[in-house]
Amino acid sequence: MPSAPLLLSQAFNGLALGTLLALVSSGLTIILGTLGVLNFAHGALFMLGAYAMYVVIAHTGSFLLGILVGAMFMLVVGVLLERILIRLFYNRPHEDQILVTFGASIVIVEAVRAVFGGNSQHVPTPGWGEGIARIGFLFYPLYRLELIGIIAALLLLLYLILYRTSIGLVVRAGIEDARMVGILGINVQRAFLLVFAIGVVAAGVSGMLYAPIVSVQPDMGGNFLVEAFVVIVIGGLGSYPGAVVGGLIAGEIISITSAFDSAYSDVMLYAVMALLLVLRPQGLFGSEGRV
Amino acid sequence: MRARFWPELAMAAVLLAAPLILPDLGFSFDLLQRILDWGLIGLGFDLLFGATGLLSFGQAAFYGTGGFVAAYLLVSHAMSSVALALLVGTLAAGLFGLVVGWLAVRRIGIYFAMITLAFGEMAYFLENSPLARFTGGENGLPGVPVPQLGGLKITPGLPMYWMLALLFFVGFVLARRILHSPFGAVLRAIKENTARAGMTGHSVPAYKLAVFVIAALYAGLAGGLLGVFQSYMPPDAFALDTSGQLVVQTVIGGVGTLVGPLVGATLWLWLRDNLQQVPLVGALWKLILGLIFVVLVVVLKRGIAGEIRWIFSRRRRAATEAGVPEEAGEDAAAMPVAAPELPLRATLAVTREDAPALRAIGVSKFYGGLHAVEDVSFDVRTGSIHAVIGPNGAGKSTLFKMLKDEVSPTMGEVLLFGHRITGLGPTRTAQLGIGKSNQLNQLFLDLTVAENLRIAALARARGTFRTDLWRAADSIPAVERQVAAAMETVGLTHRAGVPVHVLPYGEKRRLEIGIALAIGPNVLLLDEPLAGMSPAERVSTRALIREIGRSRTLLIVEHDMDAIFELAERITVLYEGRLLADGTPEEIQRNQAVQDAYLGGLHEHEPA
Amino acid sequence: MDDGSGRTALDRRQLLQLGLGAAGGLTLAGLGAPEAFAAKPLGTWPAGTKGKSVFVGVTTPLTGAYSADGKDHELGYELAFAEINAGGKNAHAWGLKGKGVLGKHVRYGIADSELKPNVGVQAQTQFIQREKAIMITGCVSSATAVALEELAQREHVLNMVGASGANETTGKDCQRYGFRSQPSAYMACKALGPIVGKHYGRNKKVAYLVPDYNYGHSVHQAFAEFTKPYGWTEASKQVVPLSASDYSSALLNIANSDADIFVNIEFAAAAVNSTKQAEQFGVLKKMKLVVPNISSFQARDLGAKLMEGVYGTLDWWWILEDKFPLSKNFVTAFEAKNHYRPSWGAHIGYLQTYVWALAVERAGTFYPPAVIKALEASKAKPFETTLGKVWYRAEDHQMVRPVPVVLGKAPGAMKNKDDYFDLVDLVPGEDVINPPGLMGCKLGPAV
Repeated sequence: MPSAPLLLSQAFNGLALGTLLALVSSGLTIILGTLGVLNFAHGALFMLGAYAMYVVIAHTGSFLLGILVGAMFMLVVGVLLERILIRLFYNRPHEDQILVTFGASIVIVEAVRAVFGGNSQHVPTPGWGEGIARIGFLFYPLYRLELIGIIAALLLLLYLILYRTSIGLVVRAGIEDARMVGILGINVQRAFLLVFAIGVVAAGVSGMLYAPIVSVQPDMGGNFLVEAFVVIVIGGLGSYPGAVVGGLIAGEIISITSAFDSAYSDVMLYAVMALLLVLRPQGLFGSEGRV
Repeated sequence: MRARFWPELAMAAVLLAAPLILPDLGFSFDLLQRILDWGLIGLGFDLLFGATGLLSFGQAAFYGTGGFVAAYLLVSHAMSSVALALLVGTLAAGLFGLVVGWLAVRRIGIYFAMITLAFGEMAYFLENSPLARFTGGENGLPGVPVPQLGGLKITPGLPMYWMLALLFFVGFVLARRILHSPFGAVLRAIKENTARAGMTGHSVPAYKLAVFVIAALYAGLAGGLLGVFQSYMPPDAFALDTSGQLVVQTVIGGVGTLVGPLVGATLWLWLRDNLQQVPLVGALWKLILGLIFVVLVVVLKRGIAGEIRWIFSRRRRAATEAGVPEEAGEDAAAMPVAAPELPLRATLAVTREDAPALRAIGVSKFYGGLHAVEDVSFDVRTGSIHAVIGPNGAGKSTLFKMLKDEVSPTMGEVLLFGHRITGLGPTRTAQLGIGKSNQLNQLFLDLTVAENLRIAALARARGTFRTDLWRAADSIPAVERQVAAAMETVGLTHRAGVPVHVLPYGEKRRLEIGIALAIGPNVLLLDEPLAGMSPAERVSTRALIREIGRSRTLLIVEHDMDAIFELAERITVLYEGRLLADGTPEEIQRNQAVQDAYLGGLHEHEPA
Repeated sequence: MDDGSGRTALDRRQLLQLGLGAAGGLTLAGLGAPEAFAAKPLGTWPAGTKGKSVFVGVTTPLTGAYSADGKDHELGYELAFAEINAGGKNAHAWGLKGKGVLGKHVRYGIADSELKPNVGVQAQTQFIQREKAIMITGCVSSATAVALEELAQREHVLNMVGASGANETTGKDCQRYGFRSQPSAYMACKALGPIVGKHYGRNKKVAYLVPDYNYGHSVHQAFAEFTKPYGWTEASKQVVPLSASDYSSALLNIANSDADIFVNIEFAAAAVNSTKQAEQFGVLKKMKLVVPNISSFQARDLGAKLMEGVYGTLDWWWILEDKFPLSKNFVTAFEAKNHYRPSWGAHIGYLQTYVWALAVERAGTFYPPAVIKALEASKAKPFETTLGKVWYRAEDHQMVRPVPVVLGKAPGAMKNKDDYFDLVDLVPGEDVINPPGLMGCKLGPAV
């Protein structure tokens, strides 16, 4: 039985891990909720963001510039992807959408491997994030601690964009009845483009923020994609608050399980997800039948 | 039926010719075996995904289970017969499929995909860690023996190819039988319109579970064979990539064609192996294959086999459609004077002779604060034509749904010939003899008119669930007579072989009624049967309704007041969810409350 | 041939049972007609040796999490094949004669194993069936190694196994047709244990980060066993799932343990990932990092700062060029071609290709049982290699070879960009190899 301080430490780690998972999942759920597209390329876009960060830092050494330039780059990627590919699939079955994004993810991962090779690239922790913070009995990496705040701010920003602006209104109306919104003279196509691009940027920015923590490598996105799936299923597919709460729950499950036996952390996550799907299939915040 | 067996014959020819032709094109025997193995798991997957519309991302769980159970039995010498071990492995996979399916089939769409994915990943973990003692963990199980046939070893290479080809062929024949059986017809109906399949009296969860188990059995056998033909059972059989690759190959090859997974595997594996050996390609093979895949998904909506079939069927369809008059003229829409009697009817469960056909007792439906229907009670006399009217939003459709128990009442109950049906659900009520046509058409759009009606007739003939996998769907004489009678009743006999999505609206509307009729109901609920019809169609449909009403109890919701007052023997009026009046047409016409609340406001807007 | 009575090596009598067999081949080799004897066809022999060339199938993970290691591995093979086919100075330094092997040009195919055993088997089976591969080799995963050994045994095609560090490869999953050059987990830990035990002193507490697969568990077990004599005990053992990418919860447990030593058993990208995160959690400040099997690019990807003072073993490191002329040749040629000093993944490919070529020339034939015999008999006549004199143990086909134990250099002490390690010791293979039979190896028959 783990000690109380260790359990508390793990509970805190669950929170930190949870915010990261929430951010990673947010882009996935936004796109799913609005466009009804389950984006299997999400993990690859996460990885692409991390590489964008790596390239900018390697040339300029500035973390902030990395985020800004990286986000712009991801915006362009998102727009291109939507215009060239995703747009063709809005009226096709879910399965086709899954497949085309799955195919896109292979292309992105292998293109990055062809350019950068399979090695892990090093992205340093920014100066303000170096070191270890001490809170009572808890020692915790400063960067991860700061990330909690940064991510909370980003999630709030996304919330404001999605729920408190006219774009958000159109988007949410578009979910309910795209044709009706179209008849009202609102350009749904453009709103969809915007949402897809925002989702891609969210995926990329998560990768950028994660880059100093993990090894930046072409296959790094795969695990995050699967974890993000679990998070949004727990939270409710397409629900933004669901992604946040689901992320936190997933973080806690992994951490608390690890306090006992870390080997079971992943499988516990799946078990909880399966149980939830049986008991409350729509997830915590979702409504079944919409997607 | 001569023409019916050509796919089997063609498949046999391909399997026989493959080892003669394909090795020269860069296919080794091993590659052919792998293609057949993917094709075999694909047969089950296509029944699940292609036929029934259930996209599973967890087939690896059953593939791996079948494989490791069989391999373990052989490697540990618990069993010496490869055939027996394969059988046990296959059954183990089926059993696992039963458990996972039981949890998964109640979910739809992405949720279904996700829950199967979760179980797939859990199975992989179990194989890798807690069960590593049996499975060899990440090393898998080497040393799986090859099967023997009468003392003769089936060695890798051509003999092993023949064994796999034979098993694949048997699997293919079985899958085709299943697809064209009454069971398979219901699966297709579930894919086309799950809700309507349930409403006609088929137990949708039972069929989904059954096909899930069938897919798991196919996967289990394929997994077992994987270990056998390469003497080694690999742990990555359980990987998510395995499930993913299966989906990819099936889609490339063509969903719902049964041969699609085989075609997809042929292309995918061949490209994978040969692309790498092209100079300068090397590790770029995956990038190139990824691009090819994206282009294929964009361009070929139906997959390779699907596109080929579509081209053929379009030609055939064009020929059929040329044979019938485009839109039947206004006069031709006339119904037969006397509808033929339906041979299949629900058995009447009448306990008391004087019990009304339907009795609503204080039924209410609240959606949060919204009271859609509140405390409505009325009787529908056996053998009568009874109408429910009321302005828009009066709660008519909700009430109708409660009468068939599509929607559970918040309070109150409904009795059918004195039996409580509330809580039974639409499938059971259909079996008990309540048919319903919907306000919005609920048809099986990609099936033909006859197939649509057959789905309903099969529900009456076969009950909620039956695994008659081997007989042909159209081989039950009583069902075929029922289909013919229903088709004639709604005047669509000339359209029997036409896919429903090409029918004009009026004919679709009649088919909607036809489906409700073909389940052989004693009580028929018609929700706005005349909505959207042309004046001429309205005349003939009114005649049809009168004709149908001769032999059964009929309850109808309609805005067309002329029709109502012409047809109905009794009328129930709803207003804002409450019962406003209940009586004969004359009584209703005279009713002051009705006039005030309803007729005054609405009647003049209605078309005459 | 193996009747289960514990007899393992092919002996003279067995060879005689093959009729004229390979023994005839050996005699005839001297007469200049290496393939002209009358053994029954076996596997891809003689079909694969009839032309002017022979084919070797190579699988390596070119995509997936080990793709960097896989690429390095591939370059090692390519260099060896190029040198052997050219028949130049380097090939002759190894003792090969003329161009190619037995005068035959060596063609090869390289296929991506995607780190999946099933795909590895698929690719090598294609090479065997389509190209009549006379030898198969390559992988960067013990699971693939085990699978390919099984395939080799069944198809009667020689398999120079590796990279693979698992005990099973020459233990319970060993095969007559498989030969492994890399030290097993057991050998690596037996070499490393006493060195770290002496260096850090007695009674240390150890925290382990163990990837949840057989290989991870066997390294953990071996390391614990060989540090036990020094009173080392386990303070924490974190088994992490295969798919882990965020190690925070496991590292938090380790940081909260009172361990002195942190043993990280993760491999390749996961090793880089987990070590980086361990540093952020302060684990590397509190504890001394030990890596029983250092991945090819671990130092390069983590940077010298994190690897400074880290003890570990690896199959080979380029600094061995100072000790062995063949290593010097290898490093020089490889760097000229690929612009970096080879890592040990490349070395395994390079070494194994040469050893195979030497064994074939010793046997005078490609006939697999004869080549097996030549390899099994190498104790009496060791091969002179990049690692000095090495030989294969007839009982389990494990190469008996020195195990380099290294120590991470301070960044300031690096003489070039690849100079991450000092050699602490080159532990003789004889000293650390497990007693035969300990791992449950039973070689199958050769015919």
